Amino acid sequence: MTAVAETAVGPERTAAPLGRLLAAEVRWVFRRPRTLITLGLFALIPVLVAVGVVVADRNGPGLIGAVAGNGLVLPIAALTLALALLLPLATAMAAADALAGEAAHGTLRGLLLAPVSRVRLVGVKAFGVLVVAAAAVLVIAVVGVLAGMVVVGSADGQMVTLSGTTLGFGEGVARVGLVAVWVLGQLAAVGAVALAVSSLTEHPLVVLASVLGGLIAFGVLSAIPALDWLQPWLLTSGWTAATDALRDPVALDAMGSSTVRALCYAAIGLGITVWRMQRRDA
Amino acid sequence: MTAVDVREAARVTSGSGPAPAARAVGLRKVYGRTVAVDGIDLEVPTGAVLGMLGPNGSGKTTLIRMLLGLTRPTAGSAELLGETEQTRALPHVGALVEGPGFHPFLSGRENLRRAAAAEPLLTSGAIPGAVDTALERVGLGHAADRRFRGYSLGMKQRLGLAGALLVPRRLVVLDEPTNGLDPAGTRDVRTIIGELHESGSTVIVSSHLLAEVEATCTHVAVLRSGSLLAAGALSGLLDSGIGGLEVTTPDVGLALSTLDGVGAVAAPGGPGIVVTDGPEAPEIVALLVRAGVAVHEVHRRRPRLEELFAQLTEGDGGVPSIGTEGDSGVPSIGTEGDGETIGSATIGSEKGVRR
Repeated sequence: MTAVAETAVGPERTAAPLGRLLAAEVRWVFRRPRTLITLGLFALIPVLVAVGVVVADRNGPGLIGAVAGNGLVLPIAALTLALALLLPLATAMAAADALAGEAAHGTLRGLLLAPVSRVRLVGVKAFGVLVVAAAAVLVIAVVGVLAGMVVVGSADGQMVTLSGTTLGFGEGVARVGLVAVWVLGQLAAVGAVALAVSSLTEHPLVVLASVLGGLIAFGVLSAIPALDWLQPWLLTSGWTAATDALRDPVALDAMGSSTVRALCYAAIGLGITVWRMQRRDA
Repeated sequence: MTAVDVREAARVTSGSGPAPAARAVGLRKVYGRTVAVDGIDLEVPTGAVLGMLGPNGSGKTTLIRMLLGLTRPTAGSAELLGETEQTRALPHVGALVEGPGFHPFLSGRENLRRAAAAEPLLTSGAIPGAVDTALERVGLGHAADRRFRGYSLGMKQRLGLAGALLVPRRLVVLDEPTNGLDPAGTRDVRTIIGELHESGSTVIVSSHLLAEVEATCTHVAVLRSGSLLAAGALSGLLDSGIGGLEVTTPDVGLALSTLDGVGAVAAPGGPGIVVTDGPEAPEIVALLVRAGVAVHEVHRRRPRLEELFAQLTEGDGGVPSIGTEGDSGVPSIGTEGDGETIGSATIGSEKGVRR
């Protein structure tokens, strides 16, 4: 290709730098009002849990009961609660906007015409979804730690494990971090599947409905005793594993297997997305 | 006068450049049972301004989308700037297809910055300047920081145009660029197309405003029901279309009988008669004058694009929406000359089918 007289343009490139694309995507994600509102609402979850703990009977059983006197347990409890429904929905919302929403606005066309290659576009979009999920998890974890310290009290900055031992503040925060990373892995699986649905439609609501329906279906399936054999295949069946982080020493079995499962879901979801995007009309 | 010959016209199109800016070879697109584009061969010479004409649902947008690689053709292939893999050419191509696509919650400037971030030819440092220049060029400088949500239809269209002009382009594709624009906006678009043409860019513009196309385009391609009815240089098409001599005279009867005597085909029309076939012009004039016909004025009839278009797309009133066209759907231009039929009517094609 011969050089055309072009001023103020860069070298002969056929693709924009990846870093610039990712930065533009993150910028776009955080300029979207609903992302910000969602994150704001997520900040309320640990606060509500904290209030609930204060109000409720301090000797109540279960995870929430265990929060009493253990400020650092609160973020883990809040993450577990949110993982059941709200975090997957927020992730699905980001994935819905990423492809179906862009297609509906006619902006997907613009990106493909720039051009951004279709495989690279999936990569950029997956990154954007992951950033939203990470931001949501981070908000819950950080606000959870703060709320735990302030509202519940730090019990001298210590965390009482389910095993009865106590951990120092640093170790406690590390446990919260471990749970946060594990939750993010699960959300990556949800996000990848949601992206796959998103690549198949141009109606963002379809993506949300699919993820919501999927969660409910998985919940029903896992509640049927005759379908026990199905458990290892269901993404949601390992979603209570976060409590293992409260044992001493930390029990990684359940978290490990559910992470492997999540990575499989993520790989399949991304594979479908790439396959579909290469054929999609925009 | 001979009828328009598509193949002839296509050859005219292909002759004038080294590598065509865009080429379609047997492009065909079928959605379910609907044939949107039915095997189109087209070459757009470099530097041309090609007006793509056709009634709604004639396949203009589908053809453009296949040329740009947005839609995979059912059969055939497309080429952009000599590249069979369109993405290699796309950095040099600006396009506004199917209306402007932007995010409602971002300002016009933010929207353009996001689009510019994906442009391979823009360095990161050049983005703000390129965005401002494009905004000024389409006359949106004053509204750049307002949210896209609050833009009027015309402003949205202008922003879409700005997106296509972010980088100096070798090819600009504009699908209905004057949609929703006021007369001033339409004039602006015409100016921009003129500037692009002067700077050597190739422009493909689809429109149903025939006057616009006639004013700005060097070439035209006329589509109907997914088929190419005619393509070629505008002047060539107009000359070879409905031609004839227009003779202004008060002695219509005498003139007609005189011409009838030498086997010329003439009919009353306009302020006198119209001769559509017969001897050369000087001979006709001499005949008439010798017969004592008062000839005020004689000129070669050059039809307006509108007449040509109507003639090319007639047969179903130009609205192929019902899908009942049978063999009567074959355009009539080919039949009055050498009897050759041009293009093929697609049976059952529907209006507005794209996706």
